[in-house]
Amino acid sequence: MSQLPSAVSQSIPAVHGMPGELSEALLWYSDGHGPWEPSSSLRVGIDLVLVEDVAGSVERFGQRYVDRIFTDHEVVYCRGDDSTSPASYLQRLAARFAAKEAMVKILRPVGARPAWRDIEVRSEAGGWTGVRLSGLAADLADEAGIEQVAVSLTHEEPMAAALVVGVCRNQESPDPSVPTDRRTTKDRRTTKDRREE
Amino acid sequence: MEETIRLVLAEHGRLAMDPTSIDENTDLFDAGMTSHASVNVMLALEEAFDFEFPETMLKKSTFESIAAIRAGVLEVTGG
Repeated sequence: MSQLPSAVSQSIPAVHGMPGELSEALLWYSDGHGPWEPSSSLRVGIDLVLVEDVAGSVERFGQRYVDRIFTDHEVVYCRGDDSTSPASYLQRLAARFAAKEAMVKILRPVGARPAWRDIEVRSEAGGWTGVRLSGLAADLADEAGIEQVAVSLTHEEPMAAALVVGVCRNQESPDPSVPTDRRTTKDRRTTKDRREE
Repeated sequence: MEETIRLVLAEHGRLAMDPTSIDENTDLFDAGMTSHASVNVMLALEEAFDFEFPETMLKKSTFESIAAIRAGVLEVTGG
C-alpha cells in the first residue's frame, strides 16, 4: 500500500475523524494529489419510535395529531387499501415520524425547527421512499448544501425506525451560534457566494 | 396556568420525575421527554388553553422547561 505524504495523512483525521490505514488508503486513492480536499460530505440521522406511542397519540388526539404531523400524501399511503390493517397503518405512521426526526438531525436547526409537515416522506411506486422538503426544512437543507437525501424505513412491532443520509457539497457552514430563524442573508452565504463577492 | 402545564406534563410528558414538583427551569428533555412526547404535550396544551402554537414556535426551546412553556403560552394567548 502506498504511503501518504505526511502533510496529507496529518490532514485526514482532522477532516473526517477516521484515522487508520484503511481510511487513509481510501482517501489517498480518491485524490492522489494531496492535501485531500473533499468536494462533498455526508450527514446521517437515525431515529427510533415506539409504535404504541403513535397509537396512543392517534387514539387521544385523533385527526388533529395526524393532520399536524403528516402530509396528505403520507396519510393516504399509510392508510393503504382495504387490506391494510390498523396495525400496519400505525407502524407506517411511526416510521414516518422517525424519518422526520432523523431528517431534523441532519438539518441541524439551531432555534426554530422545521414543521413536521415540511418534511414529507414520499412513497414511490415499487416500494422505495424519498424525502421532499419545503419551508424551513428546504431552507436549512439549502443552507447546509444538502444536495441529495436518501431515507430508509423499517418497522417491526414494537418499534419503527428510519435512517436518513444527506450528501452535502463542501461549503462553509453558517455560524452555528446564530439561531436558525435569525440568520441573515450574510449568514446563509455559501463558499461560492463568498468567492463571487 | 402553571398547574395546568404540570398536569399536561404529568399526563403526556413521559418524564422520569414527577412534573408536579420539579423546578420550573428543569430541562424536560433531560428529564426524559422524547420528541414524540413533546408533540403530545403541545397538542394537550393547545387543547387546555384553546389556542394553536404557530410554526415559528415549534422549536425545542419552546418546550424545554415549564418556564419556557408558560412563556410560550403567554406569547401566543397575549396573556
